[in-house]
Amino acid sequence: MHDDLRPASPTIKFEAFGVRIAIAGNCPPILELIEKRLPKIAPGGFKRLRNENFDHSFFIKEKPNENLFEIYKNSEKIEWWKDKERLLEYLDSQLRITIAEFAVSKVFIHAGVVAWKENAIIIPGNSRSGKTTMVAEFIKRGAIYYSDEYAVVDDKGCVHAFPKMLSIRGIVDDFTQVDFAPEDLGAAVGIKPLPVKMILITQFEENAAWNPWKLKTGEGIMEVLPHTIPTRLNPAFTLKVLSLMASRAIIAKSVRGEAKLILPVLIDYLETEINKADSEIRI
Amino acid sequence: MHHINIPIARSEDLVIQELAEEVLVYDLKTDKAHCLNQTSASVWKACNGENSITDIIECLETQMGNEVPEKLVRLAIDQLNERNLLSEKVPQNFAVENRRQVLKKIALASAIALPAVYSLVAPTAALAVACSGIVTNCIGCADGTPCDVDMDMIIGMCVGGFCAGD
Repeated sequence: MHDDLRPASPTIKFEAFGVRIAIAGNCPPILELIEKRLPKIAPGGFKRLRNENFDHSFFIKEKPNENLFEIYKNSEKIEWWKDKERLLEYLDSQLRITIAEFAVSKVFIHAGVVAWKENAIIIPGNSRSGKTTMVAEFIKRGAIYYSDEYAVVDDKGCVHAFPKMLSIRGIVDDFTQVDFAPEDLGAAVGIKPLPVKMILITQFEENAAWNPWKLKTGEGIMEVLPHTIPTRLNPAFTLKVLSLMASRAIIAKSVRGEAKLILPVLIDYLETEINKADSEIRI
Repeated sequence: MHHINIPIARSEDLVIQELAEEVLVYDLKTDKAHCLNQTSASVWKACNGENSITDIIECLETQMGNEVPEKLVRLAIDQLNERNLLSEKVPQNFAVENRRQVLKKIALASAIALPAVYSLVAPTAALAVACSGIVTNCIGCADGTPCDVDMDMIIGMCVGGFCAGD
């Protein structure tokens, strides 16, 4: 390890979902900003570490002569930025991906998550597939907010809250994300882990009607897998958790039009299917 | 030496997850995930190195309570073979270009579902949070230049909202 890459004082050390991370750098003002952003970086909760042990390290190296910052992850240079705000956003994203990949006893799925009447609904998808729009529309109608980025699923197949700020595009332009606290949209934030009752596989298509068909468990898992973070790192655990989650869920697939237009139809469908599934369990 | 017409299901370097109707198989060598539908899963499980094709047909008929055409089993074996889910390669039963015809014939003659194996390559952690894979979904590049959405070029990959290189 290069000498100046060793996390030395000042160093931020924290643990989230069992992942221990150290962030150091030669630029104290930047580290102060990162420190303040920790609740945003790890919205599912974190604790500061006092001991020396960590699993992953990040180092921010300011190069004043070149007017840029280099970012190292585990001693390897991964990126450089000139703009401070972009640097911080990039680092947030990298830290969250690291937590998502190495989380202990949890499987992170890139997905929006809400709870509708105690039933967790997850909406897996790529960035810009409309997850946040769907989540925002759900919470406007009274759903409880769990996440607009990751479904955090435990070894019992239940989803935990990862309530980061909602990053909504389309306010400044189509690309820039503006962060909103869920409370600003009138949402309550989920506290307890919930079993996943519905997995929505959906993508925006202009003027498309909501016309869902149900997938079998395996088919559904194959739709979720491309958005599942630790698959390569821990395939056995990942498949076990996805199976537990999906085998109890209704998995519905359809293209959809504008979220605000289809939400009433979708909620109607959701309630009908959940009632049907609950009455089948009772029988 | 095992007989070439007696297929054996591969068991090494695989993670197998049984579901109510299907079977998920993760290949640790290639990082590919496969979902075998009920028919394919039944054929795969019957490939124990002792069962001939005739035995496999009998196994399926017992399980499903229906007559099972030999072509259906051979087609399933071709699919398993192609995805490296057999411990040794077996000769292909049907040329790929004839598959559609064979499928049509079996579909008409059989009361059970056609064999199907869905496969995908498991994403890396970074790709699992990626945008659609093209740079037009990206907020910008490291040097601060915004991505030019009018350029019809795939010049990078968007990972977590950022360019991940050219």
